[in-house]
Amino acid sequence: MGSLFRSESMCLAQLFLQSGTAYECLSALGEKGLVQFRDLNQNVSSFQRKFVGEVKRCEELERILVYLVQEITRADIPLPEGEASPPAPPLKHVLEMQEQLQKLEVELREVTKNKEKLRKNLLELVEYTHMLRITKTFLKRNVEFEPTYEEFPALENDSLLDYSCMQRLGAKLGFVSGLIQQGRVEAFERMLWRACKGYTIVTYAELDESLEDPETGEVIKWYVFLISFWGDQIGHKVKKICDCYHCHVYPYPNTAEERREIQEGLNTRIQDLYTVLHKTEDYLRQVLCKAAESVCSRVVQVRKMKAIYHMLNMCSFDVTNKCLIAEVWCPEVDLPGLRRALEEGSRESGATIPSFMNTIPTKETPPTLIRTNKFTEGFQNIVDAYGVGSYREVNPALFTIITFPFLFAVMFGDFGHGFVMFLFALLLVLNENHPRLSQSQEILRMFFNGRYILLLMGLFSVYTGLIYNDCFSKSVNLFGSGWNVSAMYSSSHSREEQKRMVLWNDSTIRHSRTLQLDPNIPGVFRGPYPFGIDPIWNLATNRLTFLNSFKMKMSVILGIIHMTFGVILGIFNHLHFRKKFNIYLVSVPEILFMLCIFGYLIFMIIYKWLAYSAETSREAPSILIEFINMFLFPSSETHGLYPGQAHVQRVLLALTVLSVPVLFLGKPLFLLWLHNGRSCFGVSRSGYTLVRKDSEEEVSLLGSQDMEEGSNRMEEGCREVTCEEFNFGEILMTQTIHSIEYCLGCISNTASYLRLWALSLAHAQLSDVLWAMLMRVGLRVDTTYGVFLLLPVMAFFAVLTIFILLIMEGLSAFLHAIRLHWVEFQNKFYVGAGTKFVPFSFSLLSSKFSHDDNIA
Amino acid sequence: MLTALLQDVHLLGESAFRPSIPPEQSIAHPAMTAHSFALPVIIFTTFWGLIGIAGPWFVPKGPNRGVIITMLVATAVCCYLFWLIAILAQLNPLFGPQLKNETIWYVRFLWE
Repeated sequence: MGSLFRSESMCLAQLFLQSGTAYECLSALGEKGLVQFRDLNQNVSSFQRKFVGEVKRCEELERILVYLVQEITRADIPLPEGEASPPAPPLKHVLEMQEQLQKLEVELREVTKNKEKLRKNLLELVEYTHMLRITKTFLKRNVEFEPTYEEFPALENDSLLDYSCMQRLGAKLGFVSGLIQQGRVEAFERMLWRACKGYTIVTYAELDESLEDPETGEVIKWYVFLISFWGDQIGHKVKKICDCYHCHVYPYPNTAEERREIQEGLNTRIQDLYTVLHKTEDYLRQVLCKAAESVCSRVVQVRKMKAIYHMLNMCSFDVTNKCLIAEVWCPEVDLPGLRRALEEGSRESGATIPSFMNTIPTKETPPTLIRTNKFTEGFQNIVDAYGVGSYREVNPALFTIITFPFLFAVMFGDFGHGFVMFLFALLLVLNENHPRLSQSQEILRMFFNGRYILLLMGLFSVYTGLIYNDCFSKSVNLFGSGWNVSAMYSSSHSREEQKRMVLWNDSTIRHSRTLQLDPNIPGVFRGPYPFGIDPIWNLATNRLTFLNSFKMKMSVILGIIHMTFGVILGIFNHLHFRKKFNIYLVSVPEILFMLCIFGYLIFMIIYKWLAYSAETSREAPSILIEFINMFLFPSSETHGLYPGQAHVQRVLLALTVLSVPVLFLGKPLFLLWLHNGRSCFGVSRSGYTLVRKDSEEEVSLLGSQDMEEGSNRMEEGCREVTCEEFNFGEILMTQTIHSIEYCLGCISNTASYLRLWALSLAHAQLSDVLWAMLMRVGLRVDTTYGVFLLLPVMAFFAVLTIFILLIMEGLSAFLHAIRLHWVEFQNKFYVGAGTKFVPFSFSLLSSKFSHDDNIA
Repeated sequence: MLTALLQDVHLLGESAFRPSIPPEQSIAHPAMTAHSFALPVIIFTTFWGLIGIAGPWFVPKGPNRGVIITMLVATAVCCYLFWLIAILAQLNPLFGPQLKNETIWYVRFLWE
């Protein structure tokens, strides 16, 4: 079978990287993504490793690039999303790239700073202009104000306020003018009133346009104010209060000419500033555009470089300190590729001595690699979510591809709903290369990743929907029902038959609300419906009685077959790990136990289906009672299912009871016998000795099969090939626990499969209720406006179907199907204690560069 | 969908319904649908057998050959088994459907 059946065989290889070629070799390895590096410096902290300086340099470059990207996106310059990912930069170019980037950063920062300063300046000038303009109107307005103080009665007679008139009065009039934020105006005024006790006049007006606050950058409303005060002390107080409230104070011109001069001066300055600002912004944009062309590839290059240095940090130096040694896990089929990558790297760096590798034997368990394509990846993820498979054990994902959608469909079984699900999945699959789908957010991403699973689930649901004869809760009559109602009428039979049987005529039907068809009467039942459940059951009131019996038996049959299949897969594991005794001492008793009890149950179900019909329905025994009586041996001998049943059941029971102690004690006793009878279990058979992995001199050959005898859950006590300890107690305890778990699990897991019945019943009932409550109400209205009523009813029906029946029930059935696989199926053979093979590959680094590099 | 219409429009004709067969004609019209058991078994066994047993020989060689063969065999086994259980459960019914009297009228009228 394909490599999906079992994980690939791995070997441990040692790479000798000459210091000149190490970087290039790793770059070549990273591009290919073949091997997984092991960390040889685990007890060294990350700050003490050899290449810490280079990593820091990379991080510095990353920081600069992040800043660049930030500025570029802030200026709304589009970044070219290039598909090709450039290789890591060779060492000689790194220095110049670093210089380039640093220079760019410095320049950018300077230009930005200047720009900010210019803008702030501009803002101040603009505010000053506004202030001047508006306070001009204050002067004109002040004429209309009532004088609050009787000391200046002449004010109202003057058309224009004359400052000299104020000064003649002896008090020096001072003005403070400026801008203040809208939210602070009232508090400011109140403070002024309290502090200055009426020696000030405050006028303020709102500025029409909102200006930007230079500190925060938000655009808010400002008020222009003008405070006139008498006296120096008041002046100081006023100025302090203005500072307190963060007002922007500008010098107030005393005369109209001064005002005009200032305004003209301001205008010219503003014009100049605008030009300078535009030029600066253009220049900045130019710089950013130029940087934007290469920033994407730079980001990728720096990231690759950093990854290479991280890997280099994991290698150790040899005694001469000139050569780096790396230990990698490599799949055996990729060993030639690994050699070629090393040659390539050596060639590129132009070193005289090439890097080379050799494989070393090891006792450790390699990581698990299962190569998947876009179709099988989803199913492998389902299995891996439970536990990554141990090294070289059978991978249940291969079978999950079909059994998972099938069990889902048994629980979901509706032709219409399944078809909608299939269409949705087809939409996702056909558009899988659409960029928006592959970069979508959380929930849609989950659906997208599972699109092939959804596709198969929909397909199988269509099939089971056809068999359940359920399409949006209605049945389809394709072949003609096997039940004939006319034959129940007395008019369809001869006189003698009418005397013998209870038949109908019109008055019976008019008077009784419900009547039951009797299959005993000839002609009523004309044979089983050829494909699926007969459509007449959808019209019957005792529909659930029939369906429940059918679905329960179906669930039990499917469950037992699924579990037996699991135990058989365990046999493949034992064969592969060369533990044949496990087959005879564990798997065979397990199968016997399961089949003698539950296989017999299946036999009884099928026998009752075949042997008992309507004529014998009165004596048809209940299977459940028979099954229970098999164990209880009741004193009253009930009429069995078939002749000779008692003997057959006794034999089966005896087989079961015999297989239980074999399951409990067989393997521990066998291992004990082996241990006592032979010197060193396992090794003497192959005749090899084991060496540690890093000795170069005496590398005795260790056959690859011994490496694969790694982990088997039963073998904790005897895994050490040097056979130091054979812990019989531990083995016995483990096997006892396993046996109890298995035997009790057989019963409970079989019952657990009844959820197939339960969920399909729930789905059918929900579907039926939705139809009865919505569509039937809509279809019953037979006046003309009923058509218009039908449209919203159908829309509501569609929405509820999607949300309740498809999404909620779908998720529920999905979850239960997963549970059946993870618990009931996989605990018959799957260990799942491995680690996943994560190769050093640049494609595994995140491909999106803009959003993931957020350094907070 | 026939059954849908049956269920939901029967109120219309309840009072006006007349039995289609007048009592004088006492010979029953036999229904056209007498189902055999052997024919569907043969058809479906050959169908799924072709898919599950003959199909694997035609899968082109490639890296996915094992996966496709496993999928074909598993599909054939699951679907055949499911269909078989459904037909075996209905082969010898121990009891019949219980119908409302209106349903009986309409089934007789429409299906027979």
